[in-house]
Amino acid sequence: MDARLRRVNKEIADCKNDRTSNISLELIDNSPFHLRGSFPGPEDTPYQGGHFEVDIIIPDSYPFQPVKMKFITKVYHPNVSSASGAICLDILKDAWSPVLTLKSTLISLQSLLCSPEPNDPQDAEVAKHYTTSKGSFEETARYWTHIYAGGPGAKDPKGSKSIRDEVAIAGLENAHVDQFEGLGFPRNKVIDVLRRLNYRGANVAQISEDRVVEELLKS
Amino acid sequence: MKVEVKHWHAVAQWRWDTGVSSDDTNKGDDDEGDVCGICRVPYEGCCPACKVPGDDCPLIWGECSHVFHMHCLLKWIGTAASKQQCPMDRRPWVTAERKIGGSPISTGNVTGSNGPTTITADANPPRPPPPGS
Ligand SMILES: [Zn+2]
Ligand SMILES: [Zn+2]
Ligand SMILES: [Zn+2]
Repeated sequence: MDARLRRVNKEIADCKNDRTSNISLELIDNSPFHLRGSFPGPEDTPYQGGHFEVDIIIPDSYPFQPVKMKFITKVYHPNVSSASGAICLDILKDAWSPVLTLKSTLISLQSLLCSPEPNDPQDAEVAKHYTTSKGSFEETARYWTHIYAGGPGAKDPKGSKSIRDEVAIAGLENAHVDQFEGLGFPRNKVIDVLRRLNYRGANVAQISEDRVVEELLKS
Repeated sequence: MKVEVKHWHAVAQWRWDTGVSSDDTNKGDDDEGDVCGICRVPYEGCCPACKVPGDDCPLIWGECSHVFHMHCLLKWIGTAASKQQCPMDRRPWVTAERKIGGSPISTGNVTGSNGPTTITADANPPRPPPPGS
């Protein structure tokens, strides 16, 4: 059995036996080198209550080369691409060490959620949101945790009211959402696309209606 | 003549002296105290490149006090990504001097690529260095 396989098998077994860390590792397909890791969002952060999944690819030269990780679950965070889930974290790049494990790396991702590094962003728009308006950023991050990571939502029994709130929490204008919904696109999709395009404030003037429609047709 | 082995008993046991007593390594809630951090195989086992544990697959000590299978550490140090740093603390790797029977047999700084820098490790299961000398 090759060294990489032996080490990975051991790491998967160790993770199974460890019930205190709340980190889990599963195979995605039949390869032991393509895994899905998951962990709960850290408490006292906008990610609390969410369940975050990470795609893990173990390179041929592991552990001498870093594992490749990206979020499967959409995360609103300055160091995570809101579109692709790509992660900006030093240990996944030049600060990797072969003594790091899948579990310790996932724990590092969990703590990245606690302490964003907006000066070294992966998603510039999210970082801008974070640095310009932390309160509004946190509302959006909490909203993402709710809709994408199964986190707790706003406790509002009235359905229509809750949709309106989602628009506000996404930092969007109801008028903009209504405008594109009026073209026949589902409301959730409109919200998703407008948020992705950062259809907010002064940015609105920079984004043509055609561009939005193009994105809506793609999604 | 045909010999059939019916049963056998192991009568000896050995372990590398890593400078940490087995009592210490067994403390703590992780059981990672006595495995090579790079391959995660116990020090007494051999690195993934070797078949037989023991003298042919020795350990290497850094001045920072971290211990690895020598072959594992050299493989890491040989990668550009290592920047010749200890995998545990990311300080420049300097192989510690270990003495056996009073004479230094292991010395060297693997960060040097010029000159007669050598990397050797204990050829025998090591004993603690004598005080002073
Ligand atoms: Zn090793
Ligand atoms: Zn070896
Ligand atoms: Zn060290």
